[in-house]
Amino acid sequence: MAELDVMDHDAVAALLAQVANGDQGAFASLYESTSGRLLGICLRVLSDRAEAEDVLQEVYVTVWNKASNFDAGRARAMTWLGTIARNRAIDRLRALPAPYSRASIEIAEATPDLGPTPAAHAEIADDRIRLNVCLDKLEPRRQVLIRTAFFEGATYEELASRSGSPLGSIKSWIRRGLMQLRACLEQ
Amino acid sequence: MNTPIEQFDDGAEQIPPSDEVRAGEYVLGVLDADGRRSAQARIANESGFAALVHEWEQRFSGWLMGAPVVTPGAHVWPRIRSRLGWSPVASARPGVWNSVAFWRGAALLATAASVAAIMIGLQSPGPVAPPVPAVVQAPAAVVQPAPVAEEAAARPVTVLARDDGNAGWIARIDTATGKLLMVPVPSPADAQGRVNELWLIPDGQAPLSLGFVSNEKAHTIVMPASVRQALAIGGTLAVTLEPEQGIPHAAPSGPIVAKGGIQQI
Repeated sequence: MAELDVMDHDAVAALLAQVANGDQGAFASLYESTSGRLLGICLRVLSDRAEAEDVLQEVYVTVWNKASNFDAGRARAMTWLGTIARNRAIDRLRALPAPYSRASIEIAEATPDLGPTPAAHAEIADDRIRLNVCLDKLEPRRQVLIRTAFFEGATYEELASRSGSPLGSIKSWIRRGLMQLRACLEQ
Repeated sequence: MNTPIEQFDDGAEQIPPSDEVRAGEYVLGVLDADGRRSAQARIANESGFAALVHEWEQRFSGWLMGAPVVTPGAHVWPRIRSRLGWSPVASARPGVWNSVAFWRGAALLATAASVAAIMIGLQSPGPVAPPVPAVVQAPAAVVQPAPVAEEAAARPVTVLARDDGNAGWIARIDTATGKLLMVPVPSPADAQGRVNELWLIPDGQAPLSLGFVSNEKAHTIVMPASVRQALAIGGTLAVTLEPEQGIPHAAPSGPIVAKGGIQQI
């Protein structure tokens, strides 16, 4: 699958520009080249394949309608698409009737290896390395909570219940962790 | 039994988080449904808050893009088309863009990855002039990217538009290497078996052939010295349908299928 690991923001941005003009052929190409990555993003949050594929449909309808909102000067094209997919997936997760229970979180232990797979594109890898380096500077429980929150889309309440820690502590750890991350990333 | 630190942590919950933290919470994904809705309303209405969210999205983009690639089921694409009110089956053949070789080739040339800004100008191609080579109405302005450090190597592109105004190809000229990257929006092959031939038409001069150009896959073309010397702003890139035999031809004989004025190099 890695061979379809499309990370050429340039080509994707070009397609988006054509989609913004109403070019259906470009839209088909965009789907071909990006839908695998976007489904992967949805599946990280929604482990249910049917839900994830349904969200993926919403995502591309949104992309067709909102392609003109893409501002190449502000965001990389794949990041823009991926953000739409992730937000739609989390919104769906929140809307699902009965949240399925997920594994408990052991926040006293060392960081589990939840890291993403290696990417083909050096620039993306650089972003990830910087983020990981900064995360590693946080105390372990903040690391675990922030990773779990991001990769599973878990709410504060879920994190509290899964880790057996008070909600207030969870919020506080994550908020401080976020500010530490920001400070580190902006160095 | 809480340690003093824990107690301090618990107390922090009472203080409403700053916008900076709230934006981070939204992007991290810890807000519940109500929290997300109110954050989304603020994103829509408060540009300052939206900017904070945008910054957090960039910070976490490395993790976002680390998601695995999972090919969707075949039913997804027709359903997207249906949701858009289109017929479920398209005449286009998106499969050709699966080509690994294509994406590798494109990626190789797109070295300065987030060339982002170069495409801004592509969003509003005007009507295309009738196929008169010497008098060219450029279909799309190419906007020089804003100076962003990592985009220093951004290169402008030329859009070759078809008569209906849709892009047929996107060309990126690299004068340093003398190469031209041609990215097609896939189109059906010619029913009469002709192939696409690319031409540079220097302003007011006769066309120079750059040889075959694919209607399916992106590829690079090494420009001959004669073409490199003639390459200048004001020239035109055009694609014509020609017999495969004898490419590159001395002069075009078939109809122009797409063209675009070179506005920047």
